[in-house]
Amino acid sequence: MMKLRMGTGVVVISTALLFLCLPFCSSSVPNDPFFGIAPQDEKYYKSSDVIRCNDGSGKFTRAQLNDDFCDCPDGTDEPGTSACPGGKFYCHNAGHVPTSLFSSRVNDGICDCCDGTDEYDGKVTCPNTCWEAGKVARDKLKKKIATYQDGVKLRKEEIEKAKSALDKDKVELLKLKKEESTLKEIVQQLKEHKEEIEKEEEKERLRKEKEEKEKKEAEEKANEEKSAATGEEAGHTNEAGKHSDAKDYAADETKYEQSDVGDSYDGATDSPSSEGSPLNEVEESVKGAEGEHAAKSETDLRVEEKKSSEEIINTGNDASENTEGLSKEELGQLVASRWTGQKGGKQSGEAEDAKKTEEQEDLTSESNNEEYEGYASETDDDRNRYDGEDETEDDFREDERDDVSSSYKPDADFEGEPDLSGLSCLLMQICYLNLVYKWTCDEMILMSSDVVTTDSPSWLTKIQRTVRKLFKAVNFFETPLNQTDAARVRKEYDELSSKLSKLQSRVSSLTQKLKHDFGPEGEFYSFYDRCFESKQNKYTYKVCPYDQASQEEGYSTTRLGRWDKFEDSYKVMAFSNGDRCWNGPDRSMKVRMRCGLKNEITDVDEPSRCEYVALLSTPALCKEEKLKELQHKLDSLNSQQPEKHDEL
Amino acid sequence: MKNKTQTLPLLFFLLFQFLFFNHVHSWKKEEFRTCHQTPFCKRARSRTSSTSTPLIATDVTISDGNLIAKLVAKSKQEETQQNTNPLLLSLSVYQNGVVRVTIDEDRSLNPPKSRFHVPDVVVSEFQSTKLWLQRVTQETLDGDDSPSSVVYVSDGFDAVLRHDPFEVFVRDKSNGNTRVVSMNSHGLFDFEQLKVKGEGDDWEESFRSHHDKRPYGPQSISFDVTFHGADFVYGIPEHATSLALKPTKGPGVEESEPYRLFNLDVFEYIHDSPFGLYGSVPFMLSHGKQRGSSGFFWLNAAEMQIDVLGSGWDAENGISKLPKNRVDTLWMSEAGVVDAFFFVGPTPKDVLKQYTSVTGMPAMPQLFSTAYHQCRWNYRDEEDVEHVDSKFDEFDIPYDVLWLDIEHTDGKKYFTWDNVLFPNPEEMQRKIAAKGRHMVTIVDPHIKRDNSFPLHKEATEKGYYVKDSNGNDYDGWCWPGSSSYLDMLSPEIRSWWGDKFSYQNYVGSTPSLYIWNDMNEPSVFNGPEVTMPRDALHIGGVEHREVHNAYGYYFHMATSEGLVKRGDGKDRPFVLSRALFAGTQRYGAIWTGDNTAEWDHLRVSVPMVLTLGLAGVSFSGADVGGFFGNPEPELLVRWYQLGAFYPFFRAHAHHDTKRREPWLFGERNTELIRDAIHVRYALLPYYYTLFREANTTGVPVMRPLWMEFPSEEATFSNDEAFMIGNSLLVQGIYTERAKQTSVYLPGKESWYDFRTGNVYKGGATHKLAVTEESIPVFMRAGTIITRKDRFRRSSTQMTNDPYTLVIALNSSQAAEGELYIDDGSSFNFLQGAYIHRRFIFKDGKLTSLDLAPASSGNARYPVNTVIERIILLGHASGSKNALVEPSNQKVDIELAPFWVQRKNSPAVMTIRKPNVRVTDDWTIKIL
Repeated sequence: MMKLRMGTGVVVISTALLFLCLPFCSSSVPNDPFFGIAPQDEKYYKSSDVIRCNDGSGKFTRAQLNDDFCDCPDGTDEPGTSACPGGKFYCHNAGHVPTSLFSSRVNDGICDCCDGTDEYDGKVTCPNTCWEAGKVARDKLKKKIATYQDGVKLRKEEIEKAKSALDKDKVELLKLKKEESTLKEIVQQLKEHKEEIEKEEEKERLRKEKEEKEKKEAEEKANEEKSAATGEEAGHTNEAGKHSDAKDYAADETKYEQSDVGDSYDGATDSPSSEGSPLNEVEESVKGAEGEHAAKSETDLRVEEKKSSEEIINTGNDASENTEGLSKEELGQLVASRWTGQKGGKQSGEAEDAKKTEEQEDLTSESNNEEYEGYASETDDDRNRYDGEDETEDDFREDERDDVSSSYKPDADFEGEPDLSGLSCLLMQICYLNLVYKWTCDEMILMSSDVVTTDSPSWLTKIQRTVRKLFKAVNFFETPLNQTDAARVRKEYDELSSKLSKLQSRVSSLTQKLKHDFGPEGEFYSFYDRCFESKQNKYTYKVCPYDQASQEEGYSTTRLGRWDKFEDSYKVMAFSNGDRCWNGPDRSMKVRMRCGLKNEITDVDEPSRCEYVALLSTPALCKEEKLKELQHKLDSLNSQQPEKHDEL
Repeated sequence: MKNKTQTLPLLFFLLFQFLFFNHVHSWKKEEFRTCHQTPFCKRARSRTSSTSTPLIATDVTISDGNLIAKLVAKSKQEETQQNTNPLLLSLSVYQNGVVRVTIDEDRSLNPPKSRFHVPDVVVSEFQSTKLWLQRVTQETLDGDDSPSSVVYVSDGFDAVLRHDPFEVFVRDKSNGNTRVVSMNSHGLFDFEQLKVKGEGDDWEESFRSHHDKRPYGPQSISFDVTFHGADFVYGIPEHATSLALKPTKGPGVEESEPYRLFNLDVFEYIHDSPFGLYGSVPFMLSHGKQRGSSGFFWLNAAEMQIDVLGSGWDAENGISKLPKNRVDTLWMSEAGVVDAFFFVGPTPKDVLKQYTSVTGMPAMPQLFSTAYHQCRWNYRDEEDVEHVDSKFDEFDIPYDVLWLDIEHTDGKKYFTWDNVLFPNPEEMQRKIAAKGRHMVTIVDPHIKRDNSFPLHKEATEKGYYVKDSNGNDYDGWCWPGSSSYLDMLSPEIRSWWGDKFSYQNYVGSTPSLYIWNDMNEPSVFNGPEVTMPRDALHIGGVEHREVHNAYGYYFHMATSEGLVKRGDGKDRPFVLSRALFAGTQRYGAIWTGDNTAEWDHLRVSVPMVLTLGLAGVSFSGADVGGFFGNPEPELLVRWYQLGAFYPFFRAHAHHDTKRREPWLFGERNTELIRDAIHVRYALLPYYYTLFREANTTGVPVMRPLWMEFPSEEATFSNDEAFMIGNSLLVQGIYTERAKQTSVYLPGKESWYDFRTGNVYKGGATHKLAVTEESIPVFMRAGTIITRKDRFRRSSTQMTNDPYTLVIALNSSQAAEGELYIDDGSSFNFLQGAYIHRRFIFKDGKLTSLDLAPASSGNARYPVNTVIERIILLGHASGSKNALVEPSNQKVDIELAPFWVQRKNSPAVMTIRKPNVRVTDDWTIKIL
């Protein structure tokens, strides 16, 4: 407990102070007993002669205020000295922003407050720099406000655009789903017809075979009669036939191998490699492994890869045990790599590159699987995806739409007049299902004409018509089958089922898209399918929201993370589970966003190994509340500034 | 899409993987030689007294103040058989109980090569303490047929050379002439003399892919040393093992490797092993309840292996008259000479004083370097440095030094800067220095073999590199790739190296920059056992095998002397080194190398640092947090709480680990780490006083309990707790989520919990509840320590801050303590520019006395610093006032928090604002 000093005690202390301190330490006690106190707290200190410690741990007398001895652990009694480690010192900083310092800064010989009030014991002289500093700060603030003002507008526009685009997406999705089911039916019908045709054809074939067999048997019989004379010859022929069969088979296999491995390793096969060299061996093993994996699912594939790399590790370990085989350099690198996790020395660069390349390949194939699962035909889109860097996103969206629609518009023939009634009907349905985001149904239906002109569903009707015609034209009971009709059915089936799968993939991608969190106001909608790039020295960093973040160096790409989520109330985009770091965690990236007029990455950093941080300036973060706050701050700075400046 | 350009690198990658991939990190045991794989060790270890050649001492005389003798084989027959020459023995005696014995071949008989005597370790002052022997007494020991020669050592001690069988020992006259330390009591002495290589001699040795030409053949030396009246032996760092050295051989002992002294860069060393680490100090001390302490030091820089033999061990027909209660040891070295020192003790502190009188006193450190250091491999660039620095301020956590590891250089060329990452190093340092802080950059001994690197060019031209066995510049592999190593054995090269630290030569360095020497074992990635081949050649034809363990020491010396030169002889150097040898304490600090973020490593850091202290290297510590791996926040916090008491307090981390600056683990952990660091800053005056004590007496800052309580058997093998000075006992917490711990508090007097002020009985084991807030720390009743309770950004700003005295009264209401102050950075203290006070509390009165001798010089250290607070623990009265004399002023006594910065700190009796100056004589009387 704190012992309360009153009356005489105070006198004793002050006399003692006077006597003991005068020659050397009076300067560390401020002249003004209320020194270092924030204006809003002065009342607290002036209200009574006995003052409570803020944390309730005790009390102190007015004389103990700023007497350079700590009575309250929280520093209440020493706002103007360094006596309490837990205390705070207030600098007025007239002309600039007032600040509150840790007590440890008071009289420590370093000027902290721009008004210099934290150093008063005479050891250093701190010039008052508040006016200059304040001006710089105000100018900065003004600039910031200007940015925010424009940014807020941009943000609003974005949000508006996002709203309509989102709605369009939803409408489109519904429409697509409907088309999908219609088309599915047609395809199903076609399939049935096709199967029937095939059945007929099979019958036909069997019949023909039978005929031929009979014919052959008849011939053979005839031949047998001659066989007594030419038996040997017949045997020989038979053998030759067998032989040629085997040959065909082998050829097929080669082909199979080529198509399987060739894609990825064509280059490797071309590369010069001497028999039996380690390079060759590795290559072989890779080939073999890849061949095996080709048919396996993605997860299996990864497991397998791990396994095989473990095998390699094991062999590697064996190699390291037997250091006899290593050159001096290699041994040095090997030992160095224990600490660095790299290959050490000059070679490290190369090896790292190689590693990255491998990772990148993995990345590409994986992301292909992931992204294009079910709609692999839309690769064209992929190329476009990275073009959306600048502010021309709308154009881009248009392009995309054109692209998409053209991909399942078989030919110009199907383009026709909009089927308005059908669409309205569909829209009514949507309204009914309450799927429409904020918009009223009336608005929707009014808008629908717009939608219709871009995405005409009439092609579907035409298809229906064509198929119906086809069915009518084809006589399935005609035997033998009219070959042209059968071909038409098959062709139609192939075309339409491929159309269907395109449609399905589109549905699935749109569904995926709409599952994403585009921010409380949809302000991040435009980030979808976009990437932001920043070049730093030799690396290019690419941040693709809702997808992944990566680091590219030349041809090699390292994935820094896959899209995870927004964090810190939509101020941070988190990408996690990137490529594994040597001896470290999986790579990850946090993209901190701040208000700016353009979407651009302004900084990328790796504060901790394999944990990246990027800064993205974007209008999406230019919030109105914040603007108001800044304006308020500036107002308050301006309001106190003139007279304060006069004081100086 | 995969294509050709991507596939090829992939294949290269796989190829590299194939050759170098090494994912499972662990100690590579098989890369280091065992005793069995080391021929000299294998031979020596299997020798028994009956298989070794008995020697006798003849021709004993006094010459040049030394006792001189020849050692010859006992039977002429054996001598001719072995074709050996007599060995020359010289015994000399020095003040304060030190006996030196050298045994070498007779150079007048022209041996093939003169054997290596390690230069520059024994300090020149030591020679001046030599006692000029005048006469030798002949005496026949009980049961002997032949006489022994006896010389006086000091009051109560004689040195004895027993002629037949040959034995050297020191005896305690006051204790019935019992032996204290003896050599060859078991007759295992063996000295392989150099021979001219004969036709059939194949001396080459191979280990893994490495070959050692061994042109001089076998030249090892081994002998037994016995510590009498001892329960345990300690010392011979550096090993990650217990403080009291466990037996490696003997009855009932699971035979292990001997303790190896061979400086090695051991990747991911394990926490309990006799294997050699980065440094070697062949100095052992013993302690026992019966007799106290004694010590033995063998000045030899070749590989050494030491067996500690379990009780009951007998070298086969060993001297049966030896009483039990002794510890036998077997010392084996690959080369060199016998240059052995016997220290009589009898207290542990005496032994330290004796040992450091030979190898030098620990240097007085820069004050800033005794504060907290922040390190990481690597602070990436100037922005990172600025960021980390500003974060310490943001969180009000003090720190004094920010470190830059190898990545700050241009391609691992030391003395250079990466011009992308560190384009403005001087400005960066100035910004840090503006807050009174310092920086440290790394400078390693491997020099990149790059002709565009002037240092390499110059070293090549001057022929300053260590040569390989063919006489070419040795080319090894380290961080920069192909590297060569300066021959630091040469004083000329050391001086040249030292000049490289001048501000002019080291471009981008400023006065606030100090140096870190790493990899100086030396670490050679493609060398045998990750070091330099033993047949590499140093100046004067000295083989690396002879000088190996001292290589890093010479490098450290050269760097440290370079910094002295840089500062015009006015600024104390600060150089941290990883490798060490006897005498390292004169040149700087040591850390325990690449430890791991595991509880066991936290645990073993205590015996490791204690052992370094026992070997004179007082200024040492382990990487806080553990170098490899990611510590859980709890482990990190515990490590800070313990590490804050290491003499050298630095956090460090491998570049693959997550960032772990103190503020990265949530508010609570930040608070806990801040508090741990604050405790160290509060105790800086106490630590500095202890560093001065080490500087004058050799007694380490961090001490085993038995150093303060030599007769308390319960402390002899305790290495969980330790003393800081004579006042604070610290008990680490080494387990996760510990709820309670047992602490043995030695002595008859009480102890005060240093957090709460609660009193605990001495001489008892206490079960204590453990909180996350701190590890248990106790203040010994009867002592006084000084604190500074105000916190600053760094120690620099604390210079003028007032002191707090904490007085822990003993059962007779008395206490004593000291305070040493100087400018913290210059050598002026050598001219007397310091303040040294003794505070004595007795009879209700606190007195401050001047301890600085009047004759200590003309220089003064003027300070106006006052004492703002005096805390009295265990004071009986409820007094309200005190009287300050001579000013005759009354001051208040009140109940005030024990720690002002801690919330809810218990209130203790406090004299409020006595404001007496530390420079003055005064008394304060409790009324």
